[in-house]
Amino acid sequence: MRTVQVTRRVDPHVNIDRYDPEAELMLLHFGPQHPSTHGVFRMDLTLDGEIVVKAVPHVGFLHRAVEKLCESLAYVQITPIVDKNDYVAPMTNEQALNMAFEKLLNLEVPRRARWMRSLFAELQRIASHLLWLGTFALDLGGALGGGSTVFIYCFRERELILDLFEEVTGARFHYNTHTIGGNRHDLPAGWSAKVHSALNVIAGRIHEYEEMTLHNKIFVARTKGVGVLDADLALELGVSGPILRASGVDHDLRRDAPFHAYDEVPVRPVTATGGDCFARAQVRLGEIRESIRLVRAMVDNVPVGSINSGKPIKVPVQTKIPPGQAYVAIETPRGELGTYLISDGSQFPYRLKIRPPSLHALSALPYILPGATVSDAVAILGSLDPIMGEVDR
Amino acid sequence: MGVKGHRTVDDTGNFEHPLYKVLFQIPGLTLAATALDHVLTWGMTNALWTFPMATSCCGIEFMASAASRVDIDRMGTIVRASPRQADVMVVAGTITVKMAPRVKKLWDQMPEPKWCIAMGSCAISGDFYRNLYSVVPGVDTFLPVDVYVPGCPPNPEALMHGFLRLQEKVRAMRQGAKVVGDPNPELLRVTKPSNPRLVDADRTAALDEAQVSSAETATDLEVAPPVSVPLEAVPAPFAASNATELDGVLADFGILPAGKQGPPLVPVERHLELARRLKGLGYRQLVSIVATHWLAGKGRGGNEAGEVEHHEVVYLLRTVGPGTRVATWAVRPLAGQPVPSLSEVYAGADWQEREQFDLLGVVFSGHPDLRRLMMAENYTGHPLRRDFAADTAAAPWR
Repeated sequence: MRTVQVTRRVDPHVNIDRYDPEAELMLLHFGPQHPSTHGVFRMDLTLDGEIVVKAVPHVGFLHRAVEKLCESLAYVQITPIVDKNDYVAPMTNEQALNMAFEKLLNLEVPRRARWMRSLFAELQRIASHLLWLGTFALDLGGALGGGSTVFIYCFRERELILDLFEEVTGARFHYNTHTIGGNRHDLPAGWSAKVHSALNVIAGRIHEYEEMTLHNKIFVARTKGVGVLDADLALELGVSGPILRASGVDHDLRRDAPFHAYDEVPVRPVTATGGDCFARAQVRLGEIRESIRLVRAMVDNVPVGSINSGKPIKVPVQTKIPPGQAYVAIETPRGELGTYLISDGSQFPYRLKIRPPSLHALSALPYILPGATVSDAVAILGSLDPIMGEVDR
Repeated sequence: MGVKGHRTVDDTGNFEHPLYKVLFQIPGLTLAATALDHVLTWGMTNALWTFPMATSCCGIEFMASAASRVDIDRMGTIVRASPRQADVMVVAGTITVKMAPRVKKLWDQMPEPKWCIAMGSCAISGDFYRNLYSVVPGVDTFLPVDVYVPGCPPNPEALMHGFLRLQEKVRAMRQGAKVVGDPNPELLRVTKPSNPRLVDADRTAALDEAQVSSAETATDLEVAPPVSVPLEAVPAPFAASNATELDGVLADFGILPAGKQGPPLVPVERHLELARRLKGLGYRQLVSIVATHWLAGKGRGGNEAGEVEHHEVVYLLRTVGPGTRVATWAVRPLAGQPVPSLSEVYAGADWQEREQFDLLGVVFSGHPDLRRLMMAENYTGHPLRRDFAADTAAAPWR
């Protein structure tokens, strides 16, 4: 495993008053309303000229009390709530949640439902990475032909996937299609042909994105060597997903701890060795290609059968889960999304902790921002792909 | 009425200012003024520069509206990132108590004339978060909303319809007409909002005063519902994931695995040592830290009469690469007893412990910077504790 190594680690809690007794440094408030903060996120940047000396992130501007709300809801009512957490990849939220319920209920999910979950997860990964690429290009700004070009292109292709989901579930996002023991909506007739035609369009255009970004001199200059996160620190911080793989760690829960149908459809994780913003873009673009391959392999081979185990649920709202504790994690487009469920045997969860990958990614900011310029700070923040809905919950 | 010099029309409807007598003698001036007014109306209607106050999911649909397929830019709604250049604020997403003062400030920075579109059910009413401790139940409690676009989130087409309705409203305003809104929700038998809106007659000065004053929260004790525990034994969810080497380390510490009820309990004073040992064994990734608040009489095994009120903090670590395994253990501090911070072993424990301190009140000793993470720093109370009622009203905002 060739991983990124950095010899000296930044102290995120450096005392600025002692560092700068003359008080010559400038304090810049960045956010919570800023087009490049990907939602509502605030950083206090201490600047020496244009160089960041210390970064103090502030989260919680979208704290919607999801975990408290879940404690007073029946288990089947929670799925639409967690949809709103990672609102760029709602499918994976639902999966991580319902898998925790199924684990404590010791419930076998039908094979068809598991395949459909993998299929939805991979389509969602393509849509999510496309949205990330578009917004990241906007963050890099005018250097990329206004930045809007990539944005407009990516949203054009993302709509194709949302159409596929809309046909299955009736919603563009916030699907509420997964439930305890399986899925709610079966695949409609003729759906796979539409998937193939949408994927053909996207697969035919990926090289355009790579031309516009990875092979673009300005993009390379803005991202290469910017925001290097070393593997040791990333692991200690709990960073996962594409950011961890961009630091050279070959770790992907789809392959390493297979869930859904990934034990039957092997996944080739995409890694890069730079650990910088460029490597993260490389990994995510590679994952779009890999997801297209997986969807093409799966969509025609979804096994026939039931999409929901049915038993032992009689009245869904009164489903009771036996007392116990369970942790379930899946690989979402942003990394390891986990659900820690504590049940006391009633029809409400006693404690439901959602382990969001974006929160751990953002906690790397105080370590990788010092030394970067203000314009790089925007690029670094964008490359972490934070979704504030799941950071703050 | 008013100062005499400011009057232009007398009581019979005639222009009385001497300047008008001069102006009306210029041929074609009234015609030109009317034409100019039409031009201004046309321009104002079709150049609604938009400031997206996008916080969450609706923000993504707003972006989709501005992007390729729907392209609301063709209606003249250019998206501006600065409130000072914008005419319309689209509040897209949930507004929390922490965010609301910023939204108000941004609204105040917009030049007149200005309009507000509440996009999505969170901005309209707070949606299902409305009665929670941190969410503002609808932005019209502190902003004058012109158009409501319902949906969760509304489709781009719905937002476009909202903009068309706003254009009607702007046109009517220019012509001095009154725009007729859609039926009042009360007529559609929708429940009346519990928080008085800006336009409500029963909105009192006391409420305004309360919103301006500092935050204050109520923590009413909630009676837990009766619990029934099924008789069947449940397979242990943790038995499979615990590695043999972890068992070996735990045996070194004299701890027996607790089985189905949860991860093995480790004495508070020894858990840092255990974390260091596990890190050396290859558990390099910190997955999560989960704290739980158990009320008196309840514990990990269900209802237990002898239990006192306590916290339980669960730590999850992971090995990297194929065949990854999760190591889990728990410590059990009594209420108020500090837990040694894991942040010197795992840097990621910094934020995780701050979150558990903020929401549950678990105190971590040796933490470099133990501040609140989610709630505002002047907030009192720990909302995820079980004795904090779920429907505690949001703190006053603005």
